[in-house]
Amino acid sequence: MALIDLVSEDIVKVPLSASTKDEVIHELIAVLKAAGKIRDTGKVYEAILAREGLGSTGLEKGIAVPHAKTDQVEKLTLAIGISPNGVDFAAMDGQPSKLFFMMLAAPDQSGPHIEALAEIARITRSDAFCRVLASAVSAKEIVELFTEE
Amino acid sequence: MAGLIQKVLVFVDGSEESIVAAHYAVCLSKTLNARLTALYVVNTRAVEDLVKTKIFLAAEQEEYTRDIESDAEKYLNHIKSLGRQKGVTVETVQKHGAPFLEIKKEVQEQDIDLLVIGELSKIRSRRDEFYNEAERAMRNVSCSVLIVKDEDRVYEVYESMTV
Repeated sequence: MALIDLVSEDIVKVPLSASTKDEVIHELIAVLKAAGKIRDTGKVYEAILAREGLGSTGLEKGIAVPHAKTDQVEKLTLAIGISPNGVDFAAMDGQPSKLFFMMLAAPDQSGPHIEALAEIARITRSDAFCRVLASAVSAKEIVELFTEE
Repeated sequence: MAGLIQKVLVFVDGSEESIVAAHYAVCLSKTLNARLTALYVVNTRAVEDLVKTKIFLAAEQEEYTRDIESDAEKYLNHIKSLGRQKGVTVETVQKHGAPFLEIKKEVQEQDIDLLVIGELSKIRSRRDEFYNEAERAMRNVSCSVLIVKDEDRVYEVYESMTV
């Protein structure tokens, strides 16, 4: 499954209302719950938090990629959130994070999980694309930015 | 047809699409009496990229690599079993590296006639970054490529095929 197959309007939240790291994680998990992609939100939160406990997934240039393996998903699952003003996600450059990609995978899907994360790494290398994504005002716009439609 | 396709390679990555492709490859190889190899590539290139971009910690690199190696063994054994159930011997190969490059090498080294891969995304994108490994392989290998679709039909054909 390609990353692009995971992108649909129901897994995108623009703008995020969260103003803290913890709220961002909760908000993205709520998006996935509403989209019917996950089972127990508490267990997913614990899995994400356990990974964040090892070191923040807040990268540079306003991008964060919280991720975890969890048996609370059937298959590879992505949520995208945009925070126009940015949130302190303990990013490595100390800058606020604006673009969030939350990736969850079942424990026996490490291969597809890695490849989807690598696709995120590839697209986030494009500063221009990230700027356009971060300035999007709707979920529809985000989906359109990923596809040709 | 049998002369045209004597060596078949199926690429497996643990996705549902690749498992469907493996069922098809078993049926095709039996029908053509072709030699079948199943290839799983532990994508160490992607893992290394994730560490470089700081998405992964060093500890995750080791953990995920081990997980993928274990998945590779599990899926390749599963495909061997799929072949055995239909009287087809499946040679399995596990490699490490960038999948599309390892697929390309395997095709060349084994002089493969046909590469079988799972269904690709129906969604088109302007961005080359969205080509996944199977799609990159399809664009780069020297042999013909067969993309397997319609999983219901494939499973039906597989189930009805006698040993």
